[in-house]
Amino acid sequence: MSNHTLLTMGAFILLTSILLGFYNLLGSTGTDITEAQDLILATTMATSYIELAQGLSFDSVTDTSSLAIGNPSILTRAHKLGPEPSEGDDSIAVFNDFDDFDGLTVTRQATGGNKRFTTNFAVYYVNPDDVDSVSTSETFVKRMDLKIWRSFPSPSMDESIDTLRVSFILGYFHFD
Amino acid sequence: MQYILDYIGAAILGSALLLIILSATDTAAESQSVYNGDALVQEILVQTAFLLEGELRNMGVGVPEGQPTILWADTSTIRFLYDINRDAVPDTVEYYTGTIGDFASTQNDLDRPLFRSVNNGAPLTVGSVTVFRFRYITQLGENLATPVSSTRLSEIHSVEITMEVQNPYAVNRSAEQIAAGERTALYSSSLWQQTRLASQNNRR
Repeated sequence: MSNHTLLTMGAFILLTSILLGFYNLLGSTGTDITEAQDLILATTMATSYIELAQGLSFDSVTDTSSLAIGNPSILTRAHKLGPEPSEGDDSIAVFNDFDDFDGLTVTRQATGGNKRFTTNFAVYYVNPDDVDSVSTSETFVKRMDLKIWRSFPSPSMDESIDTLRVSFILGYFHFD
Repeated sequence: MQYILDYIGAAILGSALLLIILSATDTAAESQSVYNGDALVQEILVQTAFLLEGELRNMGVGVPEGQPTILWADTSTIRFLYDINRDAVPDTVEYYTGTIGDFASTQNDLDRPLFRSVNNGAPLTVGSVTVFRFRYITQLGENLATPVSSTRLSEIHSVEITMEVQNPYAVNRSAEQIAAGERTALYSSSLWQQTRLASQNNRR
């Protein structure tokens, strides 16, 4: 085999490597587009849950009383946030206050397809002056953290699944 | 003899390279077109959804208590009141879809315009949709039949939107790729669905 042939084959191998990278790039763009669509669906679901949650009472105490509350300590204890089984809070449809979502994990199928998305909720009292910091005592501001990810179908070999994280703040208010 | 073999080898490898490059260019062009279409469609969908959601959230702002907020609620039409320019006079905002014939010039045979009209003025095209559906839900979770009767309009607690946008331009497919019952062309599409917009101002 002459040097010329070796040189040609070397060029061939080099080009093949470049082409492989090129096709990989094309494939990853396609994956990015699919992931973007998944994130759009996840966003619609997050919005749906937030819309639902913000329509509920701030607390189970404020749900059952029309009196204005001046002291946050009479609200549900910080370590007891979550659904109240005594009130029959066993599904989103019957939740009556914002923190009933705490600890909930829901899987829902997107209409028109077989994709399923799982959402995990956590609700905390937060410091009204700094809503990023969780408060261990009761305050007039609660934060809901949602995490949503595609749980079905499982990611393919070249795909990574992003988890969408959304937070929503609800403050207590009262009309006299 | 060695030279001849070199020439033949180089010619074969050169031809292979040429074929590979041609094929790669072709694939790149096709993929680029598809991905651009997908990205464009997603962008249009999100923009349309944000506009619609933003306005539906304002439904009822500046409307005197006791006055109905939603004036008409149908599967693909909604008419409601809110004070757009805060001049203490509620404005009538209407969203509705046109017909497929309105977009007859596009390749896509399912797309139609989404119109927005204020105070019964000239409609403005705010998007292009292939599916656009409202559902109206009461406080107790009942799905109201459409068009919602005037006596039940005040019962609407939340509105659910399902919207699909497709690219007006097709990604062509060969005859062998088209299964029975399928459309002759493939369109990039994106779906926005099931956002329940429960306007605070509408809950009075």
